[in-house]
Amino acid sequence: MPTAIVTGASRGLGLALARALSAEGWRLVIDARGAAALQHAAGELRSGAAIVALAGDVADPAHRRALMDAAGAPIDLLVNNASVLGPSPQPALTDYPLDVLEHVYRVNALAPLALAQLVLPRLSTGGCIVNVTSDAAVEPYPGWGGYGSSKAALEQLTAVLAAEHPDVRIYAVDPGDMNTALHREAAPGEDLTGLPSPQESVPGLLALIAGREPSGRYRARDVGTVAA
Amino acid sequence: MSAPAFELPAAHEAHEPPEARGLERDGVRLMVASRSDRSIRHARFRDLPSLLAAGDLLVVNTSATVPAALPAALADGTPVHVHVATPAPHLPDGNWWVVELRSAGGAEPLRRVRAPDRVTLPAGAVAELVAPYAAGSRLWLARVRGERSLADVLAGHGRPIRYGYVPGIWPLQAYQTVFAREPGSAEMPSAGRPFTATLVTRLVAAGVLFAPLTLHAGLSSPERHETPLPERYAVPASTARLVNAVRAWGGRVVAVGTTVVRALETVAAPDGTIAAGAGWTALVVTAQRGLRAVDGLLTGWHEPRASHLALLEAAAGDELLARCYREALRHGYLWHEFGDSHLILP
Repeated sequence: MPTAIVTGASRGLGLALARALSAEGWRLVIDARGAAALQHAAGELRSGAAIVALAGDVADPAHRRALMDAAGAPIDLLVNNASVLGPSPQPALTDYPLDVLEHVYRVNALAPLALAQLVLPRLSTGGCIVNVTSDAAVEPYPGWGGYGSSKAALEQLTAVLAAEHPDVRIYAVDPGDMNTALHREAAPGEDLTGLPSPQESVPGLLALIAGREPSGRYRARDVGTVAA
Repeated sequence: MSAPAFELPAAHEAHEPPEARGLERDGVRLMVASRSDRSIRHARFRDLPSLLAAGDLLVVNTSATVPAALPAALADGTPVHVHVATPAPHLPDGNWWVVELRSAGGAEPLRRVRAPDRVTLPAGAVAELVAPYAAGSRLWLARVRGERSLADVLAGHGRPIRYGYVPGIWPLQAYQTVFAREPGSAEMPSAGRPFTATLVTRLVAAGVLFAPLTLHAGLSSPERHETPLPERYAVPASTARLVNAVRAWGGRVVAVGTTVVRALETVAAPDGTIAAGAGWTALVVTAQRGLRAVDGLLTGWHEPRASHLALLEAAAGDELLARCYREALRHGYLWHEFGDSHLILP
């Protein structure tokens, strides 16, 4: 039974991906900050799969070690999906509180790197790392400077890690616009019901995980259509 | 869920084993409810041979109770109790356990702990609370380190888990059923407790069949309405074949305990055929899901709000079940692991 660590799996894309992986027979180690929501998700997933749910913050080194201990070795997949948006509504960069920005970087860029550092020595042959990014990492959307630049940092960390590990598949994946809690937080008061559900980004992620695409940046919905 | 809502008066709690009340194990009361004619009768557990028919099958749980309550101490020296529920599923080594922290003596759950608190156990063992395991902060996923395995520490220093309604300390033997074979249950699979060797012999002589399975029961969590947690089970091939044969000839498959229902329904196909199997089950049986392989249920009396009531509803139907519980309250039946019994027949 292959083992995956999926962070931020209590809702949104993380939960949708965890559902799909559990249906494919993966053993999952999942986390989220909110214990109640995580346990709710774990309760649902347990009916189909081997699941270990650890509530905690990926920015906490002790929590990251607990995830590793729970996963054991080898690890076949790491999905760095947990992210924070920052303040809602998001301030312009000129007004952005730097202490909050530090926290956003810690969760969105440093924690994924820290987990990759821990996972790489235990990654199975053929295993891969998926870092979930955003179009805000590339496009200069006003108001998205904090979150977007943290994801830009994550993308460059991904790219250099991949260059340093040519034998390992390391992806930055943009899932596309989705109707998720994070997006609703970013756009308070806006009606996002017209956006696709996170479920629609899952086939592309699964195709990347199972496939042989070279390391790099991918858009999840494109991978799905190309692979089909 | 429309499971019966009721308050359980203290007078309905069994505070000690029936033997301490001057009864044999099989002398406890037995309410017999029948789905087909919606009848309710009052009997004694030892009347079972006359209530079942030749060719009926009793499926029993052979899991033995382990002394799962340990005296322990928090880092600041506060004495507490640790209730060890199960080994933690799906983790890479045997040092992960699901535990509950309780006040010294075990009466109340302890909520003022957080990860990564360390709890000192007997024999030099230490449990590190890694993360909440389920349902908020009541159960913890803990990593246990020490020279001896936690199973050894339990064998040497553990006591049977008891809750506030049982004031006395009873020996482990009081928490074993006559079927107990493989240690693993944090709490006694208590539906089988009233059986005695003599009663089993009388049933066998009457043509009633028995088949074993194992489901190691975790914590029942009397404080709150919670979803049952994953538990380990094993349904042997011989039991699967016998269950299928009994159903094929029209006999009744009667589960002795909700643990047996969970295990059998875990390995039941939609048409009710069961297969051998073993592993962890997270199945939650509800009236909506219904029962596939089990025709009848022999069980105890369950707490208001207990998730087991949803399972009972699957066996009895909500109207009959509510009537049973009203009758049990009116007629002074006793609740909990040392209490009276309930037979639900098709």
